[in-house]
Amino acid sequence: MHLVIISGATRTRSKSNTAKIVAAFEEGYREGGNTAETWFLSDRAQWDGAAKAFEQSNNILIALPLYVENIPGILLEFLEGLTPKSAPGTQIAFLVQGGFPEASQSRCCEKYLETLPEQLGCAYAGTLIKGDMFGLGLMDEKEREKPLAAFTEMGRHFAETHRFEKDVVDVFAAPEYLPEKELRMFKLFGRPVQKLFMGRMAKKMGCQGRLDAQPYSTGR
Amino acid sequence: MSLLVVNTLPAEKAQAAIDRLTARSAESRVIHTQPLNIRPCIGCNACWLKTPGRCAMRDDYEEILKAYLEYDAAVFLSGTALNFVDHRMKNLVDRLLPLVTMYTCVVDGQCRHVPRYNKEYRFGLLYDGAADQAYLSQWMDRVALNFGGKSLGAFPLKQAKEAFPCTL
Repeated sequence: MHLVIISGATRTRSKSNTAKIVAAFEEGYREGGNTAETWFLSDRAQWDGAAKAFEQSNNILIALPLYVENIPGILLEFLEGLTPKSAPGTQIAFLVQGGFPEASQSRCCEKYLETLPEQLGCAYAGTLIKGDMFGLGLMDEKEREKPLAAFTEMGRHFAETHRFEKDVVDVFAAPEYLPEKELRMFKLFGRPVQKLFMGRMAKKMGCQGRLDAQPYSTGR
Repeated sequence: MSLLVVNTLPAEKAQAAIDRLTARSAESRVIHTQPLNIRPCIGCNACWLKTPGRCAMRDDYEEILKAYLEYDAAVFLSGTALNFVDHRMKNLVDRLLPLVTMYTCVVDGQCRHVPRYNKEYRFGLLYDGAADQAYLSQWMDRVALNFGGKSLGAFPLKQAKEAFPCTL
């Protein structure tokens, strides 16, 4: 079965965590003879092709980073431009990746995604959620293997079921909330560890000021 | 209470609602975004890690970012699409990120970014068109939570006179 994947990530493909996740997912999906094609909305030159692929396919996966509790603005703009399908038979599944570790952070977005396919004349085929993905782009290839292997496995699963079953994706998405013990550790050591880690990242990017600078402070 | 109105709708469509809102506030400012150049967030992280607090994109958004800090409350006027706000509104919200730092903390059992400024933002939404009001209210609650603020709720544009009763 052929799958059209549309990445709604805003970062260019080479810097996109969503793109890395989609590649791993696609690898699993293709095993056993399935086929897939991926379109990247960060490249506006691909929008016409992506719209045509949406129109012609009945098996669609939309992958996205969580942006302020919902889908990124560019993905919304793309979807607004589509003509809703008039004939039944097309399904849309979603893959949402976020920076925060808890799956609960993506539930508000998921609630919207449950209603979105109907707006486009399609059926809903489930949402795969995974948090704690911010660091993916900072890892080397070896370090990325384990987290990405989990998405390859989900690609295999999707190839068999053609939808994200709630019981499977809930296990995959865990933890829903961080356990008490982790929260206590975070409260104790989170800030100094973050200062060190993020300070290094900032230095690499050429930052010369404080990360908590207030450039527009009004004193109010 | 001072009020910032950020209007993403055509001015003529929004004017009656704007008049109703601003009449209830001692001090107000209206920013119409349609004539402005406001690009979507590209997720570059510069506002967290390279130029903290400043967006890397040099467009007209900076003026709005400053205005959030100058007024007690901000009300967005938005169109709708696909049962949600439209992309113009979502792009504005996506670009709120410079208001928080990359550092994280735990608030009510969930991770949050640490606010950059000592300010409790109040964000409200008036929307024009078909959408699920209960969902938009829930989404606005979550949006505000992410920036250490409070939501004023989401209301249809035609209810501008009665909207946000306890705040404005």
